[in-house]
Amino acid sequence: MGDQTRGKLNVHSYAAELQARLERGEPGNLVVHDPGPLVRHKLADEIFNLCRANSLWPMTFGLACCAIEMMSLGMARFDISRFGSEVFRPSPRQSDLMIVAGTVNKKMASAVMTLYDQMPSPKWVIAMGNCAISGGPFAVEENYNVIEGVDKLIPVDVYVPGCPPRPEGLLEGILKLQEKITGVRHPFPQRKISDAPSY
Amino acid sequence: MPAPHVLDFVYIIVILAGGIIAGFAPFVISDIFRPRTINKKTLLTYECGMDPFGSAWDIRFGAAYYLYALIFLAFDVDILYLFPVAAAYDRVSGWQGVLELFIFVGILTLAVAYVWVKGVFTWAIKREEN
Repeated sequence: MGDQTRGKLNVHSYAAELQARLERGEPGNLVVHDPGPLVRHKLADEIFNLCRANSLWPMTFGLACCAIEMMSLGMARFDISRFGSEVFRPSPRQSDLMIVAGTVNKKMASAVMTLYDQMPSPKWVIAMGNCAISGGPFAVEENYNVIEGVDKLIPVDVYVPGCPPRPEGLLEGILKLQEKITGVRHPFPQRKISDAPSY
Repeated sequence: MPAPHVLDFVYIIVILAGGIIAGFAPFVISDIFRPRTINKKTLLTYECGMDPFGSAWDIRFGAAYYLYALIFLAFDVDILYLFPVAAAYDRVSGWQGVLELFIFVGILTLAVAYVWVKGVFTWAIKREEN
């Protein structure tokens, strides 16, 4: 019943950890158990990274107006599925890419940290928009509530600037992430424009 | 050379083994190569980032919903008994069939009328009772 009382008081169990990370000013990652893979093989790693890069499953996780651009990226006009990451998962258990699309305030911060913890490894984070990168328009002296950069909480792989960034910007962020994972810009060869069918 | 029916069994066993391997190989392969990082909250119940609290066995469920189960049963039985009616519909004359159908459904509908009169469809009345 002790847990229940704590839940009703709305005190998140990561409140202290959040404070510690903010004071330290750098991201944390509370790893309790990391024996590494049973077998590590270079070729297998390359194959798996190729597969991972071409099927990044983002988490359905919109915090503010940047999420509108993220949704539009998922729709037909910009069509994120051309690059294999259209499968927005509503659970961190099934996703390996967290797109922090918007303003992270202090009340949300511990939830962001928990969701990052709950994603299975390997996992990547894209900080989308100025708020997620540095606090954006909230990075002023009077700010009392907004985390000035999600990279103070969790490790960020790709930053996509803009307020909000256009869908193409986020698409470029995903391409950059693919490049980071595999080492080449287009992990699978793309069709040339001249070869594309004309409609 | 074994008898043909023995060979048939061998085929079945080989295909069965192939199916089992195809089913479990992805689990085994991913178990061998996956990173096994466990963060502090990785194994917690998924609660949209919030702390789970209470016990999973501690479910409070409105007992008033038994009424909906009963209403569902009334409709369900309606439909269920219409299947034999449909199957035997061509054995009687048209008017007789329609008439008996309406009598039968009318009697069963009384159950719905009963709960209607009792005020189950109105949440406000239930609140006053509570």
